[in-house]
Amino acid sequence: MNALVEVDNLNLHFPIDGGFFKEKLTLRALTDVSFSVEEDETLAIVGESGSGKTTLGYAISGLLSPTSGRIKFGAGLGGHSQESPVQLVFQDPFSALDPRMMVGDIVAEPLRLQGVSRAERLQQADDVLEQVGLPAESARRYPHEFSGGQRQRIAIARALIAKPKLIVADEPLSALDVSIQSQILNLLNKIKRDRTISYLFISHDLGVVHHLADRVIVLYLGRIMEIASRQDLFATPSHPYTQALLESVPRIGRGRRKPGQALKGEIPTPLSPPPGCVFHTRCPRAQEDCRHHVPELLPAPGRPEQLSACHFKD
Amino acid sequence: MLRYTFFRLVQAAFVLLVMTFLLFMLIGMMPGDPVENMLEGNPALTPELARQMRELYGVGVPLPVRYWHWLTAAFQGDFGFSSLYFRPVLEILGPALLQTLKLMIATIVLSIPLSLLLGAIAALRPGGWMDTVISFFAFASISLPNFWLSLILIIVFAVQLGWLPASGTPLAENPSLGLQIYHSILPVTVLTMFFVGPLLRYVRASMIETMSSDYIRTARAKGLSETTVIVKHALRNALIPMVTVLALGFGMLFSGALVVETIFGILGMGKMIFDAIRYVDFNLALIGLLLATIVTLVSNLLADLAYAWLDPRITLK
Amino acid sequence: MSAIDTELAGIPSAPRQTIWQLRRKRFLRNKPAVIALAILVVLAALCVLAYPYSLLMGLDPNETNLLMRFRPPSAEHWLGTDSLGRDVLLRLMYGGQVSIAVGVLGTLLTALIGVLIGVWAGFLGGKVDAFLMRLTDVVIALPMTPVLIVLGAVDLSKLGLSQALASSPGVVFLRIVIIIALVDWTTIARITRAATIEVRQREYVKAATVSGARHLYNVLVHVLPNITTPITVAATLSVGRIILFESTLSFLGFGIVPPTPSWGNMLTNAQELVISAPALAVYPGLLIFLTVISVNFVGDGIRIAFDPRSEK
Ligand SMILES: Nc1ncnc2c1ncn2[C@@H]1O[C@H](COP(=O)(O)OP(=O)(O)OP(=O)(O)O)[C@@H](O)[C@H]1O
Ligand code: SF4
Ligand SMILES: [Mg+2]
Repeated sequence: MNALVEVDNLNLHFPIDGGFFKEKLTLRALTDVSFSVEEDETLAIVGESGSGKTTLGYAISGLLSPTSGRIKFGAGLGGHSQESPVQLVFQDPFSALDPRMMVGDIVAEPLRLQGVSRAERLQQADDVLEQVGLPAESARRYPHEFSGGQRQRIAIARALIAKPKLIVADEPLSALDVSIQSQILNLLNKIKRDRTISYLFISHDLGVVHHLADRVIVLYLGRIMEIASRQDLFATPSHPYTQALLESVPRIGRGRRKPGQALKGEIPTPLSPPPGCVFHTRCPRAQEDCRHHVPELLPAPGRPEQLSACHFKD
Repeated sequence: MLRYTFFRLVQAAFVLLVMTFLLFMLIGMMPGDPVENMLEGNPALTPELARQMRELYGVGVPLPVRYWHWLTAAFQGDFGFSSLYFRPVLEILGPALLQTLKLMIATIVLSIPLSLLLGAIAALRPGGWMDTVISFFAFASISLPNFWLSLILIIVFAVQLGWLPASGTPLAENPSLGLQIYHSILPVTVLTMFFVGPLLRYVRASMIETMSSDYIRTARAKGLSETTVIVKHALRNALIPMVTVLALGFGMLFSGALVVETIFGILGMGKMIFDAIRYVDFNLALIGLLLATIVTLVSNLLADLAYAWLDPRITLK
Repeated sequence: MSAIDTELAGIPSAPRQTIWQLRRKRFLRNKPAVIALAILVVLAALCVLAYPYSLLMGLDPNETNLLMRFRPPSAEHWLGTDSLGRDVLLRLMYGGQVSIAVGVLGTLLTALIGVLIGVWAGFLGGKVDAFLMRLTDVVIALPMTPVLIVLGAVDLSKLGLSQALASSPGVVFLRIVIIIALVDWTTIARITRAATIEVRQREYVKAATVSGARHLYNVLVHVLPNITTPITVAATLSVGRIILFESTLSFLGFGIVPPTPSWGNMLTNAQELVISAPALAVYPGLLIFLTVISVNFVGDGIRIAFDPRSEK
């Protein structure tokens, strides 16, 4: 497999204005994040609210620039500045579509920005709309005439039209009704069968991740806790945090509880993350060592493909 | 809070400094040259005297240089001479400011109870006939040209009926308080009419909002009488943010005072500024405008501070 | 597949009521606003008729005739004559043209400045925003009327304009429009800024940015069309305020200067007329009042019609 995107030691900090005379604070949204997205794979990112999932997605799509570290696009992409290698699908299908534009124009917007003629791009928009299961006549309607699920289809059509190599989908299901969720999930799977495309799929829902992902990244307080294939992660979770997350889902595939509910204590503030292992304030296995030394992301015993950042990993 | 206050003070001082520069430039672009004007009026002035006077009033030097002179002198408390009154401008300022403050305070003292009363009545039944009448009154208040209202009141009450004097200043040497009030009735009426509209719209809106809040529903559920609910709870709640609205209206009231003072011949700040500009008295116009700006700045500052103090929810950034 | 079909069945077959139809309906239900609009139309028509009326009656708005001073209403002069023997009704009509034109043009210029600054500050944020918002603070701290008077007193020939040009009616008119816009843009700027900040964070703007959209594209295509509502409402409400500013300035002698009539300057000498010809002091102010209150009622009607929360 070829790497599509390589993220190398990515750090992303938000300066927080503490007021005119107060000292400036720094919010560490992402710390030392390294991983790669392969061609044609679905890489899921899970983690509690505030763990930096959206920030990571925005950094990869170029909306936020890293404080340090690099995001490299492999041969398949030919650099970031070229025409839309990455596209986004958002959580809220309502604010994702400009209410003053017709659906056809919304879907065709990436082509408009590439300078494709209007007739040509509207033709393509009709085609893509059909691919996502909407009648071509939707193109001449406004977003407010559509339901949440239909809007999410429109957003997916917009993401597809410029033939991106990677789609960053930031919790694309969580604003939808359960019955609609499975339809959108099926649509994403169908698209995956029809073309060569990678997904960076951000989610709260381990059930959905189990259904869809090839590999999974577990994020906690802006750091990667564990990266593993879906099979390894769900069968033999290595990191105590991953284990806690899986325990909080009673039955994989059905449970829709947010991860982290079984964890004790509050998630610390990213304004001053704990020293050593960031998870030590809540870890059942924490030792004195954990408070001082940051664990490296290294293979779990006997599983070279499963990386985990813990001094006492399984 | 202290830090916030300090920050706002520094900011206001900076704004004031910028204002001195802007106003100086603007006033420097008014027509004519005050010494020219005086020479025309008094052919006895010798050229030598004229030169000295030019120096005194700082005419003929490039504007930015003059600004610098003015600023350094101003920091030593010297704001120059008035070419209109032949006196240091600061001497003229005091009494004028006092006059205007009297006018404004009288207006505010009348406007607050009036707007609370009308606003509360209107908010009792939004959409009812009382509300319609009061809302119309509020619209009229913000739409009336106050110079015209002054003229109409003079025509009706001074000329036609002869009940009230058309002049805002009593002629007597040391007028009694009663006489002063008698002469102020018309000007204060105009200003109140002009000021009460925005206040009353505000009171009405915030009353309607509080009346439908949980807090009032609880008060009602406790079985308190409707009057108690309105007076003790809703009205008091509406009163707090009103402090800020009042302070923000200060600049507006000052603008209104200028017009009213001019028409009723009251020797206040407004008329002073107006005359200074009309008769090209650079120094007087400048100090007058600066003082007006200070008054507005201070009232805005007080509004912000009062708001921050009364409403702990806003974080003091 | 059938699940998808049922979901698609929800797509309406005929377009629903557009937002504009809805707004019009809501506006028309507001009686005071409709009456006010009718009054405005009548007033505007009256002002437009000034020229035909002058032809019909054979009158000139600026020609003085000292033998005809202070005539009461008659067949030739429907509202009588003023202190210089000119036809009052005709001057009211021409004065109205000036006042309404200043109100409309001033609002357009105010909106232009306010929207530019508001969008700029709101979209770019950071230091630009901080600077522009401090600038608004400074302008808001100014006492309006005194500052307008100073601006009105500025000698344009000191700015390099020839004396003749500086006092030509066109320049005087433009100057009023400009100085009012210079002090009145802050309200619209603040409203625009707040609306821009809200739209800027919407996800459709992010989607466009990811596809390569620049600031200008986002502002023109996504931001401006989505903030027209608050701007329209604020602009309508500022028409009345600007007409009042103009009339006050002209009344004080720093606005439209005679012989060009404006409702404000027709009252300039009214202080002396209050005894001899009080009616002359009544008409112009009454027209200002009627115009401004109508504009304010219409503005309020638009505000309510545009406000989604007022939907029952
Ligand atoms: N523009 C910003 N300025 C300052 N802080 C930010 C900004 N965006 C995100 N953050 C902070 O960065 C951290 C990570 O946020 P992020 O939105 O990436 O989390 P998330 O994992 O997507 O959470 P959620 O599940 O709630 O969407 C949070 O603490 C958040 O408050
Ligand atoms: S390093 Fe220590 S604290 Fe961190 S996860 Fe492992 S055991 Fe827990
Ligand atoms: Mg998120």
